[in-house]
Amino acid sequence: MGIRWQHLAAWAVFIIFMLALPEFVSKGTLRTIIFANFLAIFAISWDVLSGRTGYISFGHPFLIGIGAYTSAILSYRFGFPIALSIPLAVVAAMIGGTLFFLPALRIRGSYFALVTLAFMELMYQLVQVIRPDITGGTRGISGVETITRGAVNNFYLSFCLMALVAFSMWLLMKSRLGTALSAIGMNEESVRGSGLDTTKLKLAAFMIAAFVAGLGGAFYVHYLGSIAPRALFDINFLFTIIVAALIGGASTIIGPMIGAFFLTFLLEYLRPVLPGAERYFIYGGIALILYMYQPKGIYEVAKQGWGRIQAARAGAGS
Amino acid sequence: MSYPLELRDVVKRFGGLTATDNMSFRVEDGESLGLIGPNGAGKTTIFSLIMGEHRQTSGSILCNGEDISALPTYARIGRGVCRTYQVPRPFADMDVMENIRLGLMPNNLWQMLVRGPNHDREIELALSVGFAEGDLKRHPAELSMGDLRKLELARTLATGPSIMLLDEVFAGLTAGEISQIAELINQKRKEGMTLIIVSHDLKSLEPLIDRAIAMNYGAIVAEGDFAHVMADPDVRAAYLGGE
Repeated sequence: MGIRWQHLAAWAVFIIFMLALPEFVSKGTLRTIIFANFLAIFAISWDVLSGRTGYISFGHPFLIGIGAYTSAILSYRFGFPIALSIPLAVVAAMIGGTLFFLPALRIRGSYFALVTLAFMELMYQLVQVIRPDITGGTRGISGVETITRGAVNNFYLSFCLMALVAFSMWLLMKSRLGTALSAIGMNEESVRGSGLDTTKLKLAAFMIAAFVAGLGGAFYVHYLGSIAPRALFDINFLFTIIVAALIGGASTIIGPMIGAFFLTFLLEYLRPVLPGAERYFIYGGIALILYMYQPKGIYEVAKQGWGRIQAARAGAGS
Repeated sequence: MSYPLELRDVVKRFGGLTATDNMSFRVEDGESLGLIGPNGAGKTTIFSLIMGEHRQTSGSILCNGEDISALPTYARIGRGVCRTYQVPRPFADMDVMENIRLGLMPNNLWQMLVRGPNHDREIELALSVGFAEGDLKRHPAELSMGDLRKLELARTLATGPSIMLLDEVFAGLTAGEISQIAELINQKRKEGMTLIIVSHDLKSLEPLIDRAIAMNYGAIVAEGDFAHVMADPDVRAAYLGGE
């Protein structure tokens, strides 16, 4: 896949647009975008693992939660500076990623997905009963130190973090390592037959996904300033991440980003009409229609549309 | 004296079924060995055991004198052994070059990350198995069975083998494709590659091998040059199903 100047120009326009955005939109919209940025990070993390290698994670909040809780506990209970608690949270998430990886040595497909779901549920229960004096139990922790204040600052912070994550994951996935991870999703046996140690490759995918999830989770908790088990280890949160990655376009970097923004704004604009959980029906419906029409997601639809415009233009020109 | 590949008293049981029954044989350096036998004789199981995809119940497998019985598949491939499959297993969403890229990758994460693909070598391999320049960007779904076998050969060759195990390389091919693949195998023989070939297409197999081993029920029935093996009454009985 070649990089053409149009791509660079499109990205430059997008970045300038995002940086200028706080001048034009309300604080409320900015807060929505902040959530979209974090969701994009989580969806990219999910995609690096599940979109590429085909090991479908139903427990991503487990990894995100470890990152978020570690950083929150270290800074709130033990007075660690955020500059230290976030890196430690990332390390903790990667250790969690190793646990997550163990079942992948033996099982895949729906069984693997179920085991990861169990990880998330287990975490939800454990956080409430084990040392609630530290984790805050059911109520969680509030008053966690924030990195910066205000919607504008947090918008810039979350956008830069998302852009950084997206760019580094893009570089990573463009490498031969990225190719090998995608190959695992297509045919793990053949990857093994090509002389590659698939265990090592899968561990790498889990570590990268855990790194991104932990980083995102830690920054997220220092944006929210609070954390509660019900909001984090939640099936709706999980599905929002997965649907964002799938609806945007799995196995790409831009797909999960598009999906995250699309879903966040969809849910936000539906809020006045459908205040309750019914909103999730709507997005489920949209996801379903999209999968039937184009399983590769919005990104593919946009790419095909663009291709048609180009073709029409070429036809008109000749 | 060590051999490129040697099986010593290898037994493989799947539950009550003995798929490999005390098999012992060796392949000489640069030799081409044909492995024949009726369906279910255990030919493919031998390949899986050599590659470490299945572990033998007992016995040992040696590669250049080293016991590789306990090694994982990638380590065996690292020692120069590799195989193709009866049913080709390409990477569906990757083009011909990307498929070959997998075979060329070193088993080292850091190298995979920092060093880009070697496009020249990918093209060279693709062309060497008979792909045209125009095929390089095609995906497996657009390829014929013959092309898929070529692709698998190219990806396997990319791992830099000295011993190749070819499983039913002629199955599902047209006469033209068969002669193309046969030519490729002959070329590899001339280059000194050690080969074990499984095929039901005995006519195509005959000119490609130095020696044949006939199997039935997981055990060797006859061994020697092709004509000798085919003349063996037990082999005839196994193929024709009569007594």
